[in-house]
Formats: sequence, C-alpha cells, structure tokens
Amino acid sequence: MTTTAQSRRVRLPAWLSMKALILFVVAFGLLYVAPFALALGDYLHNIVGLTFMFMAAGLAWNWLGGYVGQISFGHAAMFGVGGFVAARLAISFGLPFWATWMIGGIIAGLYALLWGHPTLRLRGPYFSIATIGVGEATRLVATYWTDFTGGSSGLSLPIGDGPTKFALYWYGLYLLAAAVILSYWLRKSRIGLALLAIKEDVEAASDVGVNPSFYQDLVLFLSGTVVGVCGGFYASYQAFIDPLDMFSFERSISFVLIGVIGGIGTILGPAMGAIVFVVLQEFLLASYPQLYLGLYGVLLIVVILFEPLGLSGLLMRLARRFGRKPSPSAASGGLSPAASPNASVSDPALTPDPVDPPDPPDPPVGAVGAVGAVGAGGPDVKRGPA
Amino acid sequence: MGQVLALAISAVLLAGFYASMAYGLGLIYGVLRVVNLAHGGMIMAAAYLSWVLFTRFSIDPYLAIPVVMVVFFFVGVAMYKGLVRHLPRGAAGGVQSLLLLFGVWLVIRNIAYLLFTGDDQAVRTSYSTASVPIFGNSYSLNRVLVFVISLVAVSVLQLWLSRTYTGKAVRAVTENSDSSTLVGIDVERLYALTFGVGTALAGLAGVLASTLFAFNPSFGSGELLKSFVIIVLGGLGSVVGIGIGALVLSFAEVFAIYAVPSYLTAAVGFVLLVVVLVVRPSGLFGSKVLR
Amino acid sequence: MQVAALTAVSAMVVAGCAPSQSSSDTSKDAGTVPDKIVIGSTLPLTGAESKTGGRYKQGYELAFDEINKAGGLEVNGKKVKVELKLLDDTSDQAKAVNLAQRLITSDKVNAFLGTYSTSLVEAQSTVAEQNKIPYVNGGGAATSIYTKGYKWIFGTLAPVENLATNEMEWIDEQQKAGKLPKPAKVAIVWENTSHGKDFRKGIQEFAKKTGSYQVVVDESFALDGTDFSAVLNKVEAAKADLFMVDAHLPDFITMHRQYLSSGMCNKIETYGARGTEADAKKALGQKGVDYILSAVWWNKQLGDKGLNKKFVDSFTGKYGKAPEWYQAVSYEAARSLFTAITNAKSVDKTKVRDALSAIDIDSILPGGKLSFPADKGGQASYPFVVQQNLPDGSSPIVYPADVANGRGTAPNPGCKG
Repeated sequence: MTTTAQSRRVRLPAWLSMKALILFVVAFGLLYVAPFALALGDYLHNIVGLTFMFMAAGLAWNWLGGYVGQISFGHAAMFGVGGFVAARLAISFGLPFWATWMIGGIIAGLYALLWGHPTLRLRGPYFSIATIGVGEATRLVATYWTDFTGGSSGLSLPIGDGPTKFALYWYGLYLLAAAVILSYWLRKSRIGLALLAIKEDVEAASDVGVNPSFYQDLVLFLSGTVVGVCGGFYASYQAFIDPLDMFSFERSISFVLIGVIGGIGTILGPAMGAIVFVVLQEFLLASYPQLYLGLYGVLLIVVILFEPLGLSGLLMRLARRFGRKPSPSAASGGLSPAASPNASVSDPALTPDPVDPPDPPDPPVGAVGAVGAVGAGGPDVKRGPA
Repeated sequence: MGQVLALAISAVLLAGFYASMAYGLGLIYGVLRVVNLAHGGMIMAAAYLSWVLFTRFSIDPYLAIPVVMVVFFFVGVAMYKGLVRHLPRGAAGGVQSLLLLFGVWLVIRNIAYLLFTGDDQAVRTSYSTASVPIFGNSYSLNRVLVFVISLVAVSVLQLWLSRTYTGKAVRAVTENSDSSTLVGIDVERLYALTFGVGTALAGLAGVLASTLFAFNPSFGSGELLKSFVIIVLGGLGSVVGIGIGALVLSFAEVFAIYAVPSYLTAAVGFVLLVVVLVVRPSGLFGSKVLR
Repeated sequence: MQVAALTAVSAMVVAGCAPSQSSSDTSKDAGTVPDKIVIGSTLPLTGAESKTGGRYKQGYELAFDEINKAGGLEVNGKKVKVELKLLDDTSDQAKAVNLAQRLITSDKVNAFLGTYSTSLVEAQSTVAEQNKIPYVNGGGAATSIYTKGYKWIFGTLAPVENLATNEMEWIDEQQKAGKLPKPAKVAIVWENTSHGKDFRKGIQEFAKKTGSYQVVVDESFALDGTDFSAVLNKVEAAKADLFMVDAHLPDFITMHRQYLSSGMCNKIETYGARGTEADAKKALGQKGVDYILSAVWWNKQLGDKGLNKKFVDSFTGKYGKAPEWYQAVSYEAARSLFTAITNAKSVDKTKVRDALSAIDIDSILPGGKLSFPADKGGQASYPFVVQQNLPDGSSPIVYPADVANGRGTAPNPGCKG
C-alpha cells in the first residue's frame, strides 16, 4: 500500500515509514563516517564499537523480554554458544570471521529453540526462573565440555586472524543496524501486532487465529541468533573467551539491565540502555568502581517504581512536557522517543498504515490498553503463573 | 550398602539446610505472588550478621538465631512497606517484583562489599569440626543441628498457619484476597507481616549457612536458585511439600555422582528445575494454594 | 526496491567494507630516553579478589619505591624515574582488557605489568600481544597463557603443574624411605578451573612417569559447593593413601570440615596451595590443619639470607609485616622489567622485549634464579616450596632440600591405624 504522495516514486513496505527510513540512513551514515571526521582516539573508537554490540544484544533481548513479555535471565547461554561456536570454527577450520559469526548465531538460535520451545508455555516469573536454570546448566556443561570450549581454560583466537579492533567498529555498526531494522520490523509489522495480542491475552489471541507458539518461537530464534552473533563478535574483539565469563549469570543480568533500564518493550530503549551501561562502566565507575553493583541496583529499583519504560519512557515524558507530540513514526530512526503508546490501538489492528493519531493520552501504568507501556501491567495482565 | 546409607544420611542432613533456605521464599511467593530475588542477599546479610555477632560479641550463632530473625522480620516489613507495596498486586506484579527485588539484591551486595570487602569469612566455633555418629558413620555436628532446627522451623510454621488466627488469615488471603477483605481481614497488614516472616526465615537460613560454609558478598545466588528448584519441586501446596522438595533435590545432587561426573552434579538442580517446570508447572506435589 | 536495498546492504557487508588500519603508530620512542618511564597496570583493587589485588599492588609499589629511592632507573647512562599507572579492573575480564587497551593506546605507557588471576591475564595478554608491548605478570600461572606462541608475554609464576610435581617429589622421597606404601593409591579431587586442571595434570604425569602411584579417584567439582560427601565417600571407598585436592579457600573449608567430621584421615593430605594461611587456621582450628601438605611459589622462610633477606627487610620496613608469595612474584615481575629496560639501554619496546627474553638474574624465587625460557613460552619455571603444617603451629619448608628448614612427617600421625 502506498500513500498518494509517493505512489509514483518509491514503494515502501507497509511497516516502514519514509521518515523512519530517512532517519535510519542518516544515522547510519553519520556513525559510519564519524571516526574519520572526529579524532576519537583508538581507545574511544574501540569502546564505541563494543557498545554497538551491546546495543544490538540489548535490542535482541528485548524482542523476547519486551515484545513477547517473557523476561529471560539466561540469555548468556546463547551469547556463549555463539561465541564458542564462532571461536571453535575459526580455530579448527579457519573459517572467515563473518561466517563463524553467522554460523555461531544460528546455532545459538537453534539452541534457544531447543530449551525455549517447551518453556515458553510458562508464564511470567516461572519462565524467568526456568531461564536462570537454563543459563546455569549451560555454563556448567560448557565448562565441562573441554573438547569444545577448552573447558575452564577457554579458547584463544590466533592473533592476526580476523578483523582488528579498529575494523570491528564498522562490523559492530552493521550488527547494530541489522538489530535496529529487525526491532523496527518486528514491532511494526503484522508480527508485532500478533505479539502484542499474545502478550495481552494468549487464549484470546489463539482464538482469533494467532498461533502463539509459532510467533514466540520465531522471536526466540531471532533473539537467540542475534545474541549469538554478538557472542561471536565479542570473541573476535577479546581474542580470548572462557566459559565462566561468557556464560555467567552476571552477563545474563547485564542484558536484563540494559533492556529494563533502557526501556523494556520500546523499540529503541535498550539501545539507550546499552549506552548508559557502557558510559557508566567507563566513566563514572572508573572513579568509584566499588559502587557499580549498587548503582545498577538503584537504577533498576527507580525504573521499576517510577518509570517502567525506563529511559525511553523518561524521554517520552519530557517530550510531552515540552509540547512535542511523538507521532507513531517517530519510533523509527535514531534515539527519539519510542512508539507512541496508543498508536497501534487507535489504528485498528488490521490496517497497519501509519495514520496520524489523535494526541495520545498519558498511558496509565498498568493499563491494559496501553500497548506501549509494556514494562508495566502489560506482561502479566490476565495471565497468572502456570 | 553401608556407603549408600552413609550418603543417604548426608543427603537428608543437607535437605535440612536446603529446606530452611526455601521456606522464606515459598511463603512470600505463595501469599503475595512476589518472587523475592533479594532472598539470596538476605541469606548473605544474615550470615554476615551472625559472623559479626560471633566475632565482636562472642555470641554463638545458634543462640543468635532469635535475634537475627527478629531483626530480619523488621527488615522484611520495611522492604514491603517501602518498595513492594507500590507494585501492582497479583499477577501483573510478577515480573516487576522480580526485577525490583533483584535491584535490591544488587544494592545489598554492594553494601556488603563496602562494609566487609570481598574476602571470605567463616564462623568457627569450638565445635565446628565436631562430629556425631549415626548408624556407624560420623557426621558434622553442625549439619545435624541445622537439620534439627529446620525440622523445628517446619513444625512451628505449620502450627502457625493452621492454628493461629493470623496464620489462618494468611491462608485466607492466599486463597482469595478480595473476599478476605470482605470478612474484615486487613490484607495489606497481612502482606507486610508475611513479607516480614519470609525475610526472617531467610535470616534463619543465613545464620545456619554461616555455621556450615565460608561466605563472601556473592554468597547466596546458588542458594537462591536452589530454593527455586525446591519450591518448584515441592510446589506451594504445603510447608511440608517444601521439605519434600528439599529432599528430592539433595538426594538428586548427592546420588548423581553414580550417574554423572562429580563436576556435573552441580547442574542437577538446574536441569531438574527446567524439566519439572516444563512437565509439571505446579510442582510435583502441590497446588497453588498454601494449605 | 526493497530487494535492491537489501542486496546493496549485504554486498557492503560481505565486501567486508570496513576501513582498515588505524591512525596511531607508537614507534616514536625508538632511541631516545624519556624523562619519565610510565608502566601501565591493572589489578583487582575492589571486588571479589580485592585482597589479593591489594597484595600485588604492594609488591609492585615496593619495586617502584626502591628504584626511585636510588635516584631512578638506569637507562643508557641516564637515571629515569619510574611511575606506576595502576587502574582497578574489579576482577572483570572485559574491564581488564579495556583498561589495558586504554593504558597502552591512549596513555601510551612504555610497558605493562599484568593483573591477577589466570583468566584475566589470559584475556589481557592478547591486548599486549596485539599492540606489541612488553607484558610481565605475576598473576597468571596456567600454561595455556604461554603456549599460544605469543612473543610479548612473560610470567613470574611457575606452572601449577610444578606445584603438583614438587609435592609428589617429596612424597616420592617418603615412599622410597619406606614410609608410604608402594604402589600408593592417589585420589585427585580438583576444582574445575585451569588451576585445578594443571594440578591434576602434574599428578597424573608424575604417576605415569614413575609407575609407583595408582590414581584411584579423579573427580572435579564446581566452585562454591555445599556438600562434598559424595566425592569424599568415593575417596574413602577407594581407600586412597594420598588425598590430593586443589581448591579455593571456601571450598577447602567446606570440604575439609566435612572430611574431618566424617572421621576421614589419609596418609598424605594436601589442598594444593591451601593450608598455611591464617584464614585456614581460623576456620578449621590448628588440629584441623595439622600435617596438611601445601606448596606455594614463595614463602618468607626463604628470607634468611642474601637477596631474600633484603626483600623481606625492605618489605617489612615499608608495610610493617612480612610478605607472602603474592608480593614476592609481583615484586619480581616489576624488578625483572626494570632490569630488562636497563639491559636494553632503551625504552624501545622491541629491545626491552628481547632483553626480557634473554634475562637471567638472581632472584628471591626458589632456585635463586629468574629467567623466562623460550621453550616455556616465557613462563618462569622453578620449584615450589613445599610446606607441612605441624601441631606446634609452624609450617616448615620440607622440600626442596636446599631450602628446607624442617622435616616433614609421613604418614599422617593423626590417623589412627
């Protein structure tokens, strides 16, 4: 479907708005050339590259945690599987790095399906607890499986093979771009609507012909794959990985923190969360390293109690305060406030055309209809634990 | 055969400690439907309190139990009134409570690091390596004491829930909080009370842990996860169910050595957790209501 | 249109269109001697390993103090002050890597002193290797760090296999003297970390080499265990003569408490490096640690003459208490780096690296000499000092003979019958 103004020129897919596309291309372009235009220095350059990876991982975690509403405390399992498969392929078969990342990612995605398909039937906290079990069991088995992971000694990639940390900036950028595109697509397309329906009320969703199992598995697979690719990226970046670090509970927690503090359920919130995560680590905590745990804890508490949509929500509030009405397509590129909460509700579920919505009212915390306010009442309304 | 018996007794003793870990978590979840991820942090904090009382004031850990439990009761009530109360009640609050209390756990851990540094601490009383003979084998006196105290706790808890007014009110609220309000039960007060009792039980577990293990601020995450396994295994049907869940877990861990390399016996609990959740989400025995 | 866009993007990615190499090039220090030498380092100063990190810091700072008190480091006729730029990596691998990156590329340090614990050193060393800067550490003992073919990494910690081998050598002496059965049954219980793996490897290889030891139990365990009765039961059932464990302090305490209360006793008991520390006695009581064999990289009882005495006196003068092995190995790491710079007559990284490869100096470490042999990938190799706890509270060195100041006892007199 096209709008009249563009019918002669460019046909965009239904879920993509021109504004979003333009913002994306501009942002991508800017980030691509930034290292040449700005004198970042090696260190910052590398840090930013690594941040791109964290952003991608946070976004991928959010597809499961925010879009589907199932909080995973075990995503390190996929991160580790992706990383070790990639490293093992590089060491034992000499495959080029991008192939190792892809294969690592896909295997991680399949692993996610393996444990996720049966556990996704669980709701709310039970699923989350199961993911903790999966994460820890994976860590223990991986540490034991010396032939594959090197056991507690880990694996070292040959120095000189693969991309340099300098080049990884751009590969990180590609990874992030892919994650952003997927985030936007998953949210804005029919799949996104199906996911929202599932999150609201599983039974009702299947009554109207939405197959919860299929959609959840799809998202789980994508989420696991992208996080697995991030693991491969991390392996290339560090050139040495070991199971304790890759599969640790702390690492799983970092994905949760990035997602929740950034804005669970929003399109780009987790990307902001990743930036905060890295910025905190690098700068604030360099002076007070003994406070980092407590700081994240406080942030988490503050977010849950006061702003369930995290940084994203905060920005949306500020935008509304200053009179700007976020339109639905503002959810797309860059870091502008995420999707207007009621955009999809006021558009009936069957016409995904972006239509200028009426002013969105403040989404009440916990409101059933507040589709965007998925950090609050969304995930568990009408669903108790199994 | 003597070996199997010896291992079985070890497993039973271990179950005593495991059960003490799980009561508090189970009670809070059963009544409030809140997953207390700060539970591990509470256990760790109680272990440190016990250590401080022992090293500074020479109070024996077992004697310190009542003190610690009272302190943690009030900590629990404060946590409820200050934080948990603000979350949406019921199912909607499930995941949020998870995350909120996880944040609390991070904060507690950091405070412990600041106060005590990351060094391992241990409580050594004059009887820390004493042993007790049972059926021809010797077992650590501490583990036997822990087991006995755990049994006592079960009985007291069970009595409280079935015989006292407040206990019955707690059960009523678990079944149906709205009708409980209708019959005049102050639900909010009961929630606070339950959270306090649950935290006090975590305090108990912490003191018991301090007599058995060395600990540091990271202590508690393994205990927390095992508590989940136990609650899932035993269901929330009854306090006794938790005891049974603890036995299942401890036996699985101890006897797994006959089936898998000893390193992987640590994974047994987690695998059990996932399998049971997938196969029988309401636990092996229990229903969803605290009987 | 979408197809076109997609192909364009994928083509870009596949073409690996990422600009290649970077702006910085740090070879400007060839030849000239700077006014100040800055050595970068990270250590876990807060977090889980803060106690050990603090001790390593003491060792490093002592070395820096001594040099600066003497007017500076002698480089090609000029005396240059040395400065330690130390950051806190909180025992986090990613941080250790990032901070090393920062120190090397932004702060442009002349050389690097490594952090503590094997996995962090292993991760951090890749940064040093990639940036071609000399990296000397006292914190990573796993042989896997040094068998990667890296050329810029040097370590003062002898391989953990030596720990096991040296203990076995003393045990072998006892066996030859008829105090232990031949063949003797060995139970190896090891934590599943690279430390534990190397420990196990050392025992297995010694057993295979001599043929007078039979490994009857070989089990690993996960860290922070709550109950070791299953594995202890196995050891008891196998009627082992030697009970050899490698464990961190908390697991040592938990396991040994259960060991003692179940009435177990073996002719030889060892927990690797554990047993002599004050925390062990505090947690288990003197009787609980009697006759436990242990081995460490260095012990202050070595410090009664020569270079060792100087070190001990210097340390005690600065910090008010005696040093342990942590400070010894970190001190030697710094000192060897300084010596290499002097020998190289320059701060040029390649020259310093070559000087480190060739170094052979007197040392406080057992054996009296320190070098970084190429055939061991740059890891120093020397005997561990083996000690045994005695009921009178002392822990004399029982092996090697040239530094021994006591006689050990085997079999364990605490076992009845």
